[in-house]
Amino acid sequence: MIRVPTEKHTPLVLSVEGVTKSFDGFKAINDLNFYLKGGELRTVIGPNGAGKSTFMDLITARTKPDQGKILYHLDSGEDVDLTRVREHDVSQLGIGRKFQNPTVYRSHTVYDNLKLSLSGERSVLSSLFYKESATDRDKIHDVLDTIRLADYEDCLAGSLSHGQKQWLEIGMLLAQDPKIMLVDEPAAGMSDEETERTGELLLSLEGKHSLIVIEHDMEFVRQIARRVTVLHQGHVLKEGAFEFVKSDPEVVEVYLGRQTRNH
Amino acid sequence: MKAFESNLEYKAFLTIAVVLVFCIPILNAVVPEGSFLHVSSFQLSLWGKYITYAVLAMSLNFLWGYTGLLCLCQSLFFALGAYAFGMYLMLHVGVDSVYNTALPDFMDFQGYTELPVYWAPFENGGFALLAAMIVPGMVAFIFGYLAFSSRIKGVYFSILTQALTYALMLLFFKNNLELFGQSFILFGGNNGLTDFKEIFGSKVDAQSTQIALFVASSVLMLGVYLLIAWLLTTKFGKVQQAIRDSENRVRFSGYSTTSYKLLIFVGSAMIAGMAGALYVPQVGGINANEMTPAKSLDVVVWVALGGRGTKFGPILGAIVVSMIKSYTTRAYPDSWLIILGLIFVLVVLFMPNGLIGLPDQLKPVFERFRKRSIAKGDVTENRA
Amino acid sequence: MKPVRSYLLALIATCASAFGQSESRLLLERLALAESDAYPAILEDLSNTGDSYISEFVDAWRVGEVYSHETESGDKLILVQVSEKFIRLTSGETMTLSEEEKESLEKNRPSRSLRRELKRITDTIDLSSPDADTRIAAALKLGLSQNLEYLKALEKRILLEESSRVVRGFEEAIAISLLANAGDASVLRDSIQRLGELKSLPSRDGIASILKGAEESGDAELARVCLTALGKIDGHQKVVENLGNLVRGFSLGSVLLIVAFGLAITFGLMGVINMAHGEFIAIGAYTCYQMNVVFERLFGAQSAAYQWFFWVSLPLCFLVAAAVGFALEKGLFRYLYKRPLESLLATWGLSMIFQQCFRLVFGAANVQVDTPQLLIGNFDLGGVSLSYTRVFIVAFAGIVILMTWILLSKTNLGLYIRAVMQNRQMASSLGIPVSRVNSITFAYGCGLAALAGAALSQIGNVGPSMGQAYIVDSFMVVVVGGVGNLLGAGISAMGIGTVDQFLQPMLGPVMGKILVFFAIILFLQWKPGGLFPARSRSMED
Repeated sequence: MIRVPTEKHTPLVLSVEGVTKSFDGFKAINDLNFYLKGGELRTVIGPNGAGKSTFMDLITARTKPDQGKILYHLDSGEDVDLTRVREHDVSQLGIGRKFQNPTVYRSHTVYDNLKLSLSGERSVLSSLFYKESATDRDKIHDVLDTIRLADYEDCLAGSLSHGQKQWLEIGMLLAQDPKIMLVDEPAAGMSDEETERTGELLLSLEGKHSLIVIEHDMEFVRQIARRVTVLHQGHVLKEGAFEFVKSDPEVVEVYLGRQTRNH
Repeated sequence: MKAFESNLEYKAFLTIAVVLVFCIPILNAVVPEGSFLHVSSFQLSLWGKYITYAVLAMSLNFLWGYTGLLCLCQSLFFALGAYAFGMYLMLHVGVDSVYNTALPDFMDFQGYTELPVYWAPFENGGFALLAAMIVPGMVAFIFGYLAFSSRIKGVYFSILTQALTYALMLLFFKNNLELFGQSFILFGGNNGLTDFKEIFGSKVDAQSTQIALFVASSVLMLGVYLLIAWLLTTKFGKVQQAIRDSENRVRFSGYSTTSYKLLIFVGSAMIAGMAGALYVPQVGGINANEMTPAKSLDVVVWVALGGRGTKFGPILGAIVVSMIKSYTTRAYPDSWLIILGLIFVLVVLFMPNGLIGLPDQLKPVFERFRKRSIAKGDVTENRA
Repeated sequence: MKPVRSYLLALIATCASAFGQSESRLLLERLALAESDAYPAILEDLSNTGDSYISEFVDAWRVGEVYSHETESGDKLILVQVSEKFIRLTSGETMTLSEEEKESLEKNRPSRSLRRELKRITDTIDLSSPDADTRIAAALKLGLSQNLEYLKALEKRILLEESSRVVRGFEEAIAISLLANAGDASVLRDSIQRLGELKSLPSRDGIASILKGAEESGDAELARVCLTALGKIDGHQKVVENLGNLVRGFSLGSVLLIVAFGLAITFGLMGVINMAHGEFIAIGAYTCYQMNVVFERLFGAQSAAYQWFFWVSLPLCFLVAAAVGFALEKGLFRYLYKRPLESLLATWGLSMIFQQCFRLVFGAANVQVDTPQLLIGNFDLGGVSLSYTRVFIVAFAGIVILMTWILLSKTNLGLYIRAVMQNRQMASSLGIPVSRVNSITFAYGCGLAALAGAALSQIGNVGPSMGQAYIVDSFMVVVVGGVGNLLGAGISAMGIGTVDQFLQPMLGPVMGKILVFFAIILFLQWKPGGLFPARSRSMED
């Protein structure tokens, strides 16, 4: 049962249609359909092995699907087929991704981490003769404020705590000014307080960016959830408001049921 | 200057520059022999050789220390540069050779009567110097393009560069290459290129030539230092180090890591090639032994011992190891390889930041030692 | 029924040959004592015996070590001097002679014409040898000499031959001889045609020169026949070469495979690139060498026990290398886990230390390891001769791989190894003794390398830096196969070994190596993770 969004007033930014990807005969993604609207915050949940990471890999052109198409809708009305794009071009198109384990440049300062992520020219030549402008600096300080790392701008990223690294990585995404942000388990390894702040951070981004958040922590999902997509065996099992999804017997069976028992 | 991190670095750089470019040449040329301050010509050319090694180490550090690409073909690039310039020198040996022809002896020996087409341009010194950069650069470009675009990295990259070295070494050990039923003469096989006489019109072994070569090597080293120091301050340099820390992040931030790595690889190969070109007239020859995989690993240990990812470490490492080598091979020839092997093992196990990082590494140990001795003192005092 | 019959046949054959020998000795004695008019008949008989002793006797006769001796009863005997003793020709018994008798001995020498006759017989004597292979080899030799005299001998003997294999050999020899001796054009054409049908490799040059002559003289018919024959011969030659390359490739691949297995296990299990792996090859080879020396000193090179040195060293070199590997794992390698680049440097240093130690202990020059009698020789497979050592190595690799497979898939240790390979921490928390598993596995990998070294001691040089020659190739095998994947290692070892052996004869060893290397680079463009890439979920892989 696929719900094609009927409310047409907000345009779509991403359509994933009939995508299948298998590894050594195992179907990690199976006939997946997924639509994302502009400015939407979507949470994707699902048990281990549901294909969440592969799903992100597909959108970021890290892996190519066996079948199906992944269309990215530009503001200009043009569509870009993400299956035909090179990996490093994906971010130039306005898609940013935060990895599950925080990946930051350990031997650079927090400031430099953000500076490298600023949107703009990426070629070798331009990087040789790049001069930092006042706008760039303002932009970096804005981001630093947003991710609450303003006091740490001169620290080496490697010396940050785990949670701070997660924020820095989100900040690096923000510096890219992406249209779509893919955020993989932002709350992993965080304290309760940090988790809550992360939730606030993500909620504050809603509307400005379209977000896809993959998460395991149900408390966290409850905090940020608007519309939730449940993946199961590489396929969309259910989609809808958190409360609706939560009470769905099928979802409880494959996912929430096990979670509640564990808690 | 923008390229220097601190005033201290700036001053140290200037001092070393003055010492290398002015003082040492004067001490060699002007100060009479026998004087306490005299620098012998032997020492001069020895240090000239060390300086080319230092440049080679810097080129590897640029690649490994700052980009995280452990390349095991740096000596190959060095040797290619040396061969390119060596070909020029070989063609200017003149008729005063064993066979008394204008051709290099090994060609006479093989029965050649005229110069092969691909040797001819090397009669021009400028072309040869250019080739000493371009040829290693081309090899690096072709190999790097293939390797980086298929995402070969880490230890696989190292293994493949080693195999590349091995393959080309086999080629350079040959006298002739039989291809498509034709025979092409190569570069002197086992003996390589040697017995040089002239360089840009002056005698290779003249004192003035030796001084000029020493100064040229020093200038190259200082220039490469400045270049690398400047690059590190640019966004390019930051991307480079970011690739070392997390290549995927860099790629997802929209940088084509392939083109960055390729440029760095080619640049580093060209620097190594230039160092090789200056090496060959100072040492008086080049042969395929300089291309063995072991030579490239020697460079790695220079960088590792000095301190990789630091600007001065590679220079220090290259000179220290070369000095130990020239002492040990004379005093205890049988144990040199064992000592070198031990340096490899010990540096990896105990000195991850090399000699440059040693003071920082020892600081906590030293502090603890001091604290303990203070504590001990307290105890004895209390007892008293 | 059958065994009995073959036994009887063998018995008859033995008797016949024994009889033949004594007969030839009698004939020789008669010859030595006869007058020249009796020669032809005796020589005729002699040439039919096929006894190789004849050549031996003729040699002694020519250099003057044959004496005639008149006994007291007036009989004349022929004695052969062997060192200081005198042997009676007909019986082979040693004669005890008094000083006087020695004085009276008369040197017996063949006349010049008789010597010529004897040479013809000794040259052709192998044609009637009891051994079929000797007969064929002799026929070919005579055929290739293209001497008219021998052609007659060949034509005469072929009528007496029964074995079809030998008849073919004789036909080939005759045809080759006819290339030079054919009286008329049609006989020549027939023999060329026949040679083509026989796919006779030795005749190739002869036919080629006839073709050249035919082209110059414009003999189109002859040229056509030559071309057809050459086509057949060349085709056959290609088959022979390819088969030879295949076997050489497989044996090289087998060695690479054993080496690469050890590398793949250590890399897959502990993330350690062991550049000193090649030195474990050398440890194996030097162990064989040392055993060779010890056995020679203990038993002497001629004894039967000496032959056992190689078979004793096989398990021994495994144990020696495994012990060294075990100690090194405890002392060095366990500090290098999951740090491939650092491990590469440290193990390189280790390999230099090892090489220098070999040099100090065994000398810088290559040493020679003897080949046990059992492995000397070739066997013939449709015109392709395969050396026993090569075949042995392939079989040996098969056994080693089978044992490794059993170890990994059927034993508890194997289960542990696979568990640790997949997830070190999980395995450790499940109570698997990870550090012991590591040590044992590493030791096993080193032992495998030593076995490869033992195999190599039979086909290549044994020297201090022998490991280096194989280590680059073995790493290529690991990279192409997919890291830590044993099946991948197997396929890529055989592939690289075979491609290498096929390219070498075409392009020479150096260009072959370079081409293989570029083929690998291009292959990695297509499959960057090797044949069987290791799949990882982490981002920084």
